[in-house]
Amino acid sequence: MEVEVDDKELKAAGAELLSDGRRGIRIHGWEIESHKRSILSSSTLELWEQKLQTSHLPEMVFGDSCLVLKHKNSGTKIHFNAFDALIGWKQEALPPVEVPAAAKWKFRSKPSQQVILDYDYTFTTPYCGSEAIEMDTSKHEMGDISDGNYNLQWEDCNEKIDVVALASKEPILFYDEVVLYEDELADNGVSLLTVKVRVMPSCWFLLLRFWLRVDGVLMRLRDTRVECKFGDNTNPIILRESCWREEKFQSLSAKGYPSDSAAYNDPSIISQRLPIIQHKTQKLKVPGNL
Amino acid sequence: MSDLDRQIEQLKKCEPLKESEVKALCLKAMEILVEESNVQRVDAPVTICGDIHGQFYDMKELFKVGGDCPKTNYLFLGDFVDRGFYSVETFLLLLALKVRYPDRITLIRGNHESRQITQVYGFYDECLRKYGSVNVWRYCTDIFDYLSLSALIENKIFSVHGGLSPAISTLDQIRTIDRKQEVPHDGAMCDLLWSDPEDVVDGWGLSPRGAGFLFGGSVVTTFNHSNNIDYICRAHQLVMEGYKWMFNNQIVTVWSAPNYCYRCGNVAAILELDENLNKQFRVFDAAPQESRGAPAKKPAPDYFL
Repeated sequence: MEVEVDDKELKAAGAELLSDGRRGIRIHGWEIESHKRSILSSSTLELWEQKLQTSHLPEMVFGDSCLVLKHKNSGTKIHFNAFDALIGWKQEALPPVEVPAAAKWKFRSKPSQQVILDYDYTFTTPYCGSEAIEMDTSKHEMGDISDGNYNLQWEDCNEKIDVVALASKEPILFYDEVVLYEDELADNGVSLLTVKVRVMPSCWFLLLRFWLRVDGVLMRLRDTRVECKFGDNTNPIILRESCWREEKFQSLSAKGYPSDSAAYNDPSIISQRLPIIQHKTQKLKVPGNL
Repeated sequence: MSDLDRQIEQLKKCEPLKESEVKALCLKAMEILVEESNVQRVDAPVTICGDIHGQFYDMKELFKVGGDCPKTNYLFLGDFVDRGFYSVETFLLLLALKVRYPDRITLIRGNHESRQITQVYGFYDECLRKYGSVNVWRYCTDIFDYLSLSALIENKIFSVHGGLSPAISTLDQIRTIDRKQEVPHDGAMCDLLWSDPEDVVDGWGLSPRGAGFLFGGSVVTTFNHSNNIDYICRAHQLVMEGYKWMFNNQIVTVWSAPNYCYRCGNVAAILELDENLNKQFRVFDAAPQESRGAPAKKPAPDYFL
């Protein structure tokens, strides 16, 4: 998707779009870039299965797609990719959710030697992004700094993402959405992990969203919002808010909401109907004076 | 030019028919389909196609690669509708070809050819949007009930949308199913349209969803042996490379929707069998952007919160 951006607006914001077919923008010391590629080939998928020690992965893994936000001066790198998200899925390992037809299936005559698979086919993940300190090579040579020596840490905080400011219609200088993985749950709903980003003259803002609908059973929405206001600071202040919502279709219908799956295709429209089960705001602690 | 030929030409341009024409077409199709067996006999040469999912312009690529019907004899393994933008035109074109050349195209049922599934995954909404009423959806879903459940090519290749069922060990058992109904939630008919081969089991597996069978290599070996068939050809699962053999070439998955959902970047395939059942997979890409009637929708930057 090519966004038509006004050159004047870019210039006024001191920003430039990446060239050479890359999708992204440079602004206030940040380089923000999205990569959108095809789903993984069968052979790469097998490799991932070995690495992740699983025999099942989502039907569509956009393993070469990612969103990367790098702050040059501090070396702060925040990025979003399917592999790290699937590590989170593997670790959380929720018990499987039974579909409505399962009740009837319990009474079916069982074939001999039936194996019941029990992995979390919804691919629910607690993933809220990956981060690292990445210094450029010149600085590497000067000191003993190597990658991973400085772990970035998120600390709970009381500050909140400034939603009012974000609602103002500042021009969007760069916008993209990257799908990380998707599964149709064999036509029993949807499991989708995507990340959307928008960059304005005063800040960047992104939403990483895990969206799950198991038809007739439940919906789960795990949103991670990250915001960084541009300022004069060498070390940027980055806020992250995660909000998990979940509800069963049964409870929705008890509250008088529709309970057919077709009414729940777009999570952004119905998110308010799903009660919040977890919410926290954190600030990224960037080690100073690197 | 007969009305039907005119309708086929119109549908080939991705222009839907009038509601009254759809009704008449479905009535004619019903007369043909009702005579077909649950295990429809198909002669070689034949070209086997997997899921299409309303990707009309990509199906036109398929016909470019495989040749036009009736010159090429086709077998479509179901999932004509849902997900893509043109389920109406896709299904009606296939149905019109079926009525015009009943012996040169075979359509069998996929799990999406169902009232319940199409209400969630797109076809119902598309009918409502394009016709302003659900009548066309009704006519089409009534026809779905008449679609055959499987095909047998020269008594040697068994073709089905999903896979096998523990309730089925012989083709004769499939022949006795009363198929003229909505796809049930369990039982043999459900399994044929829904089940998947699975590497990690050898015999039968139950999906972690609590419904849906998975079958392993030894199940396929036994089935192929007792029914004296060479291999099974099925669709139902996305394959990045367009086709995929499993269990020592005893079963093959064929997927015919390139760049699935307009974003996966996968290639598609069809399987051509000559009169001696020699196989050739033809792999193809999605239709180029300029040949798709409407321009691609650029998602506008959105002030999401």
